[in-house]
Amino acid sequence: MERSKHDREVLLAALEAGKLLLENGAEIFRVEETIYRICKHFGLTSASAFVLSNGIFLTSGDEEEKEAQFAKVLLIPVNGANLGRVAEVNQLSRQIENGAYTLEQVRQELKRIQHLPDFPETLQIAAAGFSGASFSYLFGGGWQDALCTVGIGILLYLYLLKIGKPHFSKIVCNILGSAWVTFLSIFCHRIFPGTHLESMLVGGIIIMVPGVAFTNAIRDMADGDYISGSVRMLDAILVFFCIAMGVGFMMALYSGMMRGGFL
Amino acid sequence: MIKLILQVLAAGAGTIGFSLLFGVPSLYYPYCGLIGGIGWLVYLCLLPGSSATIATFCATVVVILLSRWFAVRKRCPATLFLISGIFPLVPGAGIYWAAYYTVSNQLQMALETGYGAVKVAVAIVLGIVFVFELPEKWFHKWNKKNNK
Repeated sequence: MERSKHDREVLLAALEAGKLLLENGAEIFRVEETIYRICKHFGLTSASAFVLSNGIFLTSGDEEEKEAQFAKVLLIPVNGANLGRVAEVNQLSRQIENGAYTLEQVRQELKRIQHLPDFPETLQIAAAGFSGASFSYLFGGGWQDALCTVGIGILLYLYLLKIGKPHFSKIVCNILGSAWVTFLSIFCHRIFPGTHLESMLVGGIIIMVPGVAFTNAIRDMADGDYISGSVRMLDAILVFFCIAMGVGFMMALYSGMMRGGFL
Repeated sequence: MIKLILQVLAAGAGTIGFSLLFGVPSLYYPYCGLIGGIGWLVYLCLLPGSSATIATFCATVVVILLSRWFAVRKRCPATLFLISGIFPLVPGAGIYWAAYYTVSNQLQMALETGYGAVKVAVAIVLGIVFVFELPEKWFHKWNKKNNK
């Protein structure tokens, strides 16, 4: 019974680690590897994990009943990324292999990592404005474009943090977000002379581009995890389409108004 | 020349901004910025002589190589570096133009720009896939040689 209780704890810890990794944008192979590392170090050899980009299936136990029979399924929504947490869990699993932690300490460490705070919101908003401006310069903008894009990036991120992500589904959030960016870019283009619509727009949009999903999708598929790769790729393509639709919708509105002579 | 330097700095700065948004620990920012800047530099240098697709492919290869190298050196996942490093190369302009032409019913141009964007995306995919095929041992060896 002691053995079985111990095994359960190990598996729950491994599952927790896997969940932390998956939630925060790790690749499938890394999740599987970490789960196996933890199980193996604590003496569990019959564990078997099947990981998708939005779920983990973990079982253990064999016919001779040397190890506990265990089965658990976790559903994890495909969401944002916090690569710092991925790095921490990765580091933790390395240290586990070196024997630095007992099982209890592992659970505590995982809890600590889970509650690691994100960067403060103001800093994130500032970073969004700053990055948007940098990219608008890369895409052929001048300093006026960059300045406007700071504002556009800030307003976009404010929208994402306060309105879009908490309240809307992914599709609607992205369409409205890119429409918002397009609107602001058109607005700045009309108000300030010397600005280029394209640079401001692209600089603002790039904040919404699903870089993590796209890159991880590629890596998963290259590893042969086609299901997970496809799920993530579909997610990324969907976001790309929604961004294009939001831009298109607002541009259509704008040219409609121009032709109609309202402005 | 100055413009080139400014562009590379902007790319590096933008990459660092994105690293923050993705929760990368701040001690890795300089490397993220370096990788993003170098990637963009490679892209700009190759663009005049070839197509956007080829330039993106080579730039992606460089970004991934550097990401893996730093990952081994700093003992952390390569994802930390490569996700933000890729951002300057993602065809954001392509998306915009494709959407613009679609909405203004210029189907021909929409298909052209959309196709261009898809080609660049495929270049990125191939860059990632091929460089990740390289066995990790190479990066350990390369690291050891440089540490001597």
